[in-house]
Amino acid sequence: MKLKMGVDIGGLALKNPVMTASGTFGYGEEYSDYLDLNRLGAVIVKGLSLKPRDGNPPPRIMETASGMLNAVGLQNVGVRAFIDDKLPRLRRIDSAVVANIFGETIEDYANVAEILNDAEGVDALEVNISCPNVKRGGVAFGSDPVLAGEVTRAVKNVSRLPVIVKLTPNVTDITEIARATEAAGADALSLINTITGMSVDIEKKVPHLENVTGGLSGPAIKPVALRMVWEVVNTVSIPVIGVGGIMNARDALEFLIVGAKAVQVGTANFINPGVTVDIIDDMRKYMSEKGINDINNLIGTLEV
Amino acid sequence: MKPYISATVFSQRETVGGHFLVVLKVSDSFRESLPGQFVMVRMKSCDQPFLSRPFSIYSVYSHGKNTFLEILYKVVGKGTEAFSRLREGDILNILGPLGKGFDIPSECDKIVLIAGGVGIAPLSFLAERCERDINGAEIVCYIGAGSLEALVSLDRIEGICSVVKISTDDGSWGHAGSVTELFRRDMELYMDNDSRIYSCGPNPMLRSLNKLLKGRPVACQVSLEERMACGIGACLGCVVKIKSGDVGGGLVRVCKEGPVFDISSVDYSEHNG
Ligand SMILES: Cc1cc2nc3c(=O)[nH]c(=O)nc-3n(C[C@H](O)[C@H](O)[C@H](O)COP(=O)(O)OP(=O)(O)OC[C@H]3O[C@@H](n4cnc5c(N)ncnc54)[C@H](O)[C@@H]3O)c2cc1C
Ligand code: FES
Repeated sequence: MKLKMGVDIGGLALKNPVMTASGTFGYGEEYSDYLDLNRLGAVIVKGLSLKPRDGNPPPRIMETASGMLNAVGLQNVGVRAFIDDKLPRLRRIDSAVVANIFGETIEDYANVAEILNDAEGVDALEVNISCPNVKRGGVAFGSDPVLAGEVTRAVKNVSRLPVIVKLTPNVTDITEIARATEAAGADALSLINTITGMSVDIEKKVPHLENVTGGLSGPAIKPVALRMVWEVVNTVSIPVIGVGGIMNARDALEFLIVGAKAVQVGTANFINPGVTVDIIDDMRKYMSEKGINDINNLIGTLEV
Repeated sequence: MKPYISATVFSQRETVGGHFLVVLKVSDSFRESLPGQFVMVRMKSCDQPFLSRPFSIYSVYSHGKNTFLEILYKVVGKGTEAFSRLREGDILNILGPLGKGFDIPSECDKIVLIAGGVGIAPLSFLAERCERDINGAEIVCYIGAGSLEALVSLDRIEGICSVVKISTDDGSWGHAGSVTELFRRDMELYMDNDSRIYSCGPNPMLRSLNKLLKGRPVACQVSLEERMACGIGACLGCVVKIKSGDVGGGLVRVCKEGPVFDISSVDYSEHNG
């Protein structure tokens, strides 16, 4: 049986629903020794800002029960160096390339999006709205429906590419933000980003992370992510991408059954750099065992 | 390079209290390992601990068709605790060799090793290769530990080096005090172009070594440690502050641009240990 694994994410065509989550896959090249990047649905690169950023001082990571905290602080080479130094290698792969972008002001977001318009080989944008808005007292764009809508609209107004908005779980009601970003023109949503947490060294009585708090990721957050994806697919009509704690094909399939059209694999890449290809292979196995010839026939089949 | 592959425990024994030497049977791809490089290790049978743990390569050698890789480690937490219970025939998952190793000169008069505790591991591998590859070099080792009971790898290093000087914090063996103090007494012997210094140990020790060597005309490389998640340059968890230089400067990845750095390029002004 010929298995169809392609999905369409708001105008972004993927040959299979497995993407790499931003911040866990570098600029792709870090993994090229370990897997065939051409196998992936998409590579989502590390978050890009207008200017290069050093990120937070170390220690930046800490293991937790079934997961890890990170406070890398969006260290990146900046959008221009990405285009000049990283993109030429990436654009040669036969998978979609998604540029994750962020800023400290709405203008920053729009500027980065505009610069990427001319970058050959970028197939879509993913907008990280978890960052604090420096102009408005540091409130995260993603925790305020009005701000979230404004960022989305600003990026949509200038970009020629499909725009995916990545939602933060650190909100009271994620469906409210989902609705606001959909109304502002988002082509798709991805969720969830990391859950804010912390960890303490009881000997020294100091936080384990220099930044005090960090983002929790890994299998510990999967049930939360799945619940939020479920809530959001029942709220919006644009495609949703499931992210959070996916370690294997079973986890990925849960998200698809709940209604995500694609998934992103994040922390699992740290533990097994070849995991994404394993997930794609195991998904195919599941499809042939269950007699599913098109992955789209599986998406959103949850019975409740 | 393949992602994680299985490695069989060939043997494991406790060398001195709380320190273990594990010998792994690995694939041929590890034959090319260089001193200063490291491996990421995780349990095969269970997913705890969640993240892999980094360890320096203590030695690599072939016997007939088999390649063996040794790790010398100290039990400090749940990962090393779990590894210490492994028995012959058990299986680990291992990734490597990773990172950039020590620069080994083709000619050199004196190789000086300064080790703090289990920091001897990469230096011992380095000593093996210097003895094999550099004609006529004198290899000297300064090794420090908390106490006599924590002095690891003495027999092996004594077999390679012409001089081994020991210090313990509590004075139970050798010089009472720090290994950098011990080294300081002799250091004028090595302040020239024909000597190379290599060091690995706790951050405070490297920091005081850096102070001693500041502005002195001798090349010194150190192997640094930071918490790691991926070991391959992707998570950006393992950074240290480096003064601008050939690896770029700023916050630089220990797993990729390191773990070996020139001591003069490490920025010890803040944060780093
Ligand atoms: C490149 C590299 C090479 C290393 N080589 C060796 C080696 O040859 N032999 C050896 O015994 N150890 C080595 N280490 C340190 C080793 O990785 C840690 O001891 C180990 O990860 C601790 O795991 P755990 O689960 O037992 O401890 P955890 O429960 O994770 O931590 C226990 C304590 O150890 C500290 N710790 C955790 N990870 C590290 C780390 N990466 N570096 C320093 N301290 C840490 C923690 O802060 C904590 O205080 C190396 C580390 C690096 C980065
Ligand atoms: S351990 Fe992940 S970048 Fe170094």
